This record gives sequence, structure tokens and C-alpha cells, in this order.
Amino acid sequence: MRGKGGKDMKASKVKIIGKKKIKDLLREASQEWNVYVPQKWSDGDVWMDQLPKDKQMLDEALEDVVLEDVDTVISPKDIFFPQLESIFKFKDDKIWETPEFSPKLIFGVQPCDLKGILFSDDFYRRNFEDRYYVSRIQNRLIVARGCLRPPRPTCFCSSAKTGPFAEDGFDLQLVDFGDSYFVEVGTREGEEFITMHKKFFSEPDGNYDMTIKEIKTKACDSLELKVDFQNALSLMAQDSFIPEENYRRIGERCIYCGGCLYVCPTCTCFNVFDNVKDKEGERVRNWDACVFEGYTRETSGHNPRKDKWLRTARRYEHKLKFDYKVTGLSGCIACGRCLSSCPVGIGISKFIQEITEKRKIM
Amino acid sequence: MKNEYFPYPAVIEDIKTETTDTKTFRVWFTDKVLADSFDYQQGQFMELSVPGAGEAPISISSSPSRKGFLEFTIRAAGKVTKSIHMLKKGDYIYLRGPYGNSFPFEDIKGKNLYFVVGGIGLAPLRSLINLVMDNRNNFRHIKVLYGARTPDDLCFKDELEQWKKIPDTEVWLTVDKPSAGWGGRVGVVTELWKETHINPENAVSIVCGPPIMIKFAADKLQESGFKDKDIFMTLERYMKCGIGKCGHCNIDDKFICKDGPVFTYEQKKGFRHKEHIF
Repeated sequence: MRGKGGKDMKASKVKIIGKKKIKDLLREASQEWNVYVPQKWSDGDVWMDQLPKDKQMLDEALEDVVLEDVDTVISPKDIFFPQLESIFKFKDDKIWETPEFSPKLIFGVQPCDLKGILFSDDFYRRNFEDRYYVSRIQNRLIVARGCLRPPRPTCFCSSAKTGPFAEDGFDLQLVDFGDSYFVEVGTREGEEFITMHKKFFSEPDGNYDMTIKEIKTKACDSLELKVDFQNALSLMAQDSFIPEENYRRIGERCIYCGGCLYVCPTCTCFNVFDNVKDKEGERVRNWDACVFEGYTRETSGHNPRKDKWLRTARRYEHKLKFDYKVTGLSGCIACGRCLSSCPVGIGISKFIQEITEKRKIM
Repeated sequence: MKNEYFPYPAVIEDIKTETTDTKTFRVWFTDKVLADSFDYQQGQFMELSVPGAGEAPISISSSPSRKGFLEFTIRAAGKVTKSIHMLKKGDYIYLRGPYGNSFPFEDIKGKNLYFVVGGIGLAPLRSLINLVMDNRNNFRHIKVLYGARTPDDLCFKDELEQWKKIPDTEVWLTVDKPSAGWGGRVGVVTELWKETHINPENAVSIVCGPPIMIKFAADKLQESGFKDKDIFMTLERYMKCGIGKCGHCNIDDKFICKDGPVFTYEQKKGFRHKEHIF
């Protein structure tokens, strides 16, 4: 993009940072922000966790930060939509709200998860606005990190065009380049962050544009799992297309553990209940899953989705038909977590293959 | 930013026992500003809280034409409704809403009306029926066809008697299981078709009750010649948040709490897996 007076705007939109400086950057940033970054636990799992504020604990946590080939167990959705969250507290005749507004730097978000975050933002902002989610995202900076290689063998983002690099929606995006990252600037807030911490960043040399393009193309080529995503959306958009046989067969195989929905970046359903301890109580909400039988069971015991296949149908139609109908975007962002987490080998990519390739694979 | 999840206190001003398991609670907000600005439409519901027990969506059973109070007719069925039944006059209850769409009113003026009702389904419909009764000259002939499990399960017994006395207004009752002394009709609500003429001409019908009753009544109305768009029904789903966020009450791209609970038969037929809606 060329700016006024022939100034090359693009030159200022990419910076470079040495990988060795990332820890110091995060240490400095954690003074101002609650920093969330992938950290490898001793058991080997990687979680998008908050860095501790205590200096010694922070130093230890920074040793566990991982940014390459990262497969976080769940998406970062729980930063804005915690698995269990207090929405208000009460005692005697008083009730008070408990929203959360802290500034959050989410560092190292996979592009697919970024799509999931933006999708959920839109859902929670839509009338009626969800006070708790919206307050949590009010002051937020997202540093995306493109994937050079698919972190999960079940990744299929290139088919859905949700990765392996983000085209927009990030404040900053890291592009892995040997012992450095190119840092693409997406927003004014991203630029301000760089200015605040300018000692860590420098200007890239040479024909970096071409280098970035090559890195992205190579990353895209590294995805082996390819599905006909657009065709699946078109098929599902047709009201006459009802793959009931698939739903029934998958519905019989599914064990209704709900794991796929917990790891899904765009699953937003929750349950609400009250907890009381020593006269003080709180209303809490926690993640729920549409595949659970109790999800639609009414007080009378009547359940319109008692049949398992109807719950399976809901799952696929919500993501691939109705979300698309309402928002113009698929509710599946092709992270592949549903398949990688499923104990019985069910996943959206397989469903897409079944309906587009007209064959049984589950 | 308004917090839609945050409930407001209201005082229970009166409690009326309707049946062995159903009571009508008359409540009003303690905050004067809220009380003065509050408005709702026939068929809408609110989320009622008893802190500690939880929250449940409950239809408003009073008519918006009668100001200065709200009525909820509640059957003690689950944890929250049982806790509400424990409350006494003068106690606080916490409310948010109103939510959902409403029964038609302006659009059905000048029509003959058929209300087909089952059990506690009269609670939301009473809101519309009393609104219609308060504007009686705007409507033609009215028939209320009301079925309940037993004579004891008939709600609003005084009002059923009052409605009968209004000119051009008929109330037909039936029960599944008669008890000693019941001299009235026995059988499900659609059995009333044998007793009274159902004429679809210049008429709309509004159906509310348990899912299975709605299914049979709506089908029967259609057989009687009612157009799909002239049959209004409520759809029921387990519901939590009331504002289209928690997901539970979804059908297709709709949320019953936000886009419903009132739908026409025509809309119901447009749903996917429509044979499994009820």
C-alpha cells in the first residue's frame, strides 16, 4: 500500500524481533498487561496460561513458554469465557455484579483460534450483549503466531482459509523466520505496543515482503489434510440436503462425552446455577454441550432431542449451516481439535469428507 | 452497558392458590423508577430468581392492560419453582426481562378467536385473553377450549366463570380424568371438536399447552380448515439465560427465548427436522 507523498506505508507495518528477546518482552509487558502465552506443563501438555506477576514465579514460567509447533489443549476462549465464572454474588438482600476488566495481552494465538475468538466476539456482542464476555475483551491485544507446520495432524485450516496465517483480525502477527520473527502490524493498538516496547524491535532489511510470502506459501503447503470445505458449506446450505444416515451412524458411534465442544474455539453454550456457602452465594455459569442429553431435557422429563442422532445433527448443522446462514462465516474454524480429542475418532473434517466425497469414513 | 443477567428485586404482594400444585404470585418492583418505566407484552416471559435456588423462565400471566403489578402463575415442578412456592407475601423475588416475542394482538382485531389451551398453558394465554377482554369490542366471537388433567388442575376458575358471562364468549372445559362431582366433559381438548363447531372463517387460533397437546391441537385446527399462518402456538424448550446466549433453546438458527416462544404453524413447518420439534 502506498501512502500520501509516495511514502511506502508497508515498510512501517513490519518489524523484526529476535526470538531471544521474546522472554524479556513478555517480562516487560507483564507489568502493564495480564499476559497469556502458551506454556508447556511438566506433563507435556501446552496451555494458554496467564503469566504470574510475582517476579520469581514469572521467571520460572517464562522458561516454559513455547511458541513453535504449539498445540494448546484448548483454544484461548476460556480467557474471555471461563469454564466456570461467577456472574454475581448475593448475601441477605444484596446482589452485586462481578465483571472482570483486566488488560489482557494474548501472545502466540494460532490463526484458527484467532478466527474463533473473533467469531465468539461477534456472537456475544450481538443483541443481547453479554456483559461478562464483553467486559473481559474490552482491553485486549492479540499477538497471533502463524503456524509453519500444522501443530496437529488433524489441522485443516488451509481448506477453510482460517490459517496457517491470519490475514486480519490480529493486532500483531509473528512470522517465524529462523532465529527471528517478522512482526506484522494489524492495528494502531499493535503499533502502539511496539512503540511502547521499541527497544525489542528493529526494522527488517531487504526484500522481506517476498520472504514473508514464501514462508506463508510453504506453511500452507505443509498441511496434508485437505477437505472440500466450501463445497460442504454449500451442501449444508441447501435445505433439501439432510444427511440423516450420516447423523444416525455418527450418533450411534458418539459416546456423548462433550470433549469436542469443550475444545472447540466457537462453542459458546453455558449452564447457569447458584452456589451457596455460609449465607453468601454466587450465580455461576459453566460450559455446557449440546450433545449432552440433559441439554434439552425439560423439568417434566420431556426431551425433544432424546434421540441421539438429533443431537449429532444439531452439532454439525449449527457449525456448518446455521452459523453460516446467520453470520456468513462457518462456525467451524478448522482447528481439528474435535477430531484430535475424540476418543472414538469423530471429527468435523471427517464429516465434511463424508458428505463431499460421499463415502463412509466414521 | 446494561447487564442483562442482573435481576431486580420485587415484592410479593399477593399469592393465590390455583390448584394443588399451582399458585399465582402478584409482584411489583421495589424501585420506583423501574416500576414506572416497566412495560411488557402479552405472551412474554421473565426470568425469576430465588438467590440460592437459581433462576427459571416464567410466563407473565397478567395482562399488560392492567397496570401496576405483574402476575406469574407457577406450578411447583423443579428446584426453582418449588423454592418460589415456599415464598410468602412480603418476601422478595428477583426479576429480569421481559423477554421473548408476544402473542398477536393488533393484527387479530376484528377476528373470531379460538383459544385452545392445555393445563398450565392457560398462564401465558390468560395475559392475551384478559387483554382481549379489556378490548372486547375489537373482537368478534371468542371460544376458549380448555383441557386439564383433572378438575382440580383447572387454573383461574373464577375468571373462567367471568369470561363465560361476557357476550359472544364461550368457555368449553374438559378433563382427562374426572373426579367425583365433575359433571362436565371428559377427554383430551381435541374431543371438544365433537361438541362445538370450529369455523376457520375470519378466525385465528392460539394454542398453548404441553408440547404433545399443541401438536394434536394444531393438527386438528389445520384439518378444520385453519390456514397455517392463522394458527399461533408456543414452542417450549429448556431455557437458561433468556437472551439467546446460553444456547439451550435453539431450533435451527432461532432461539425460542428471543425469536419465540410464539410461532405460527407456518413457521413451525419451515423448521428442519420438523417432525421432531415437540
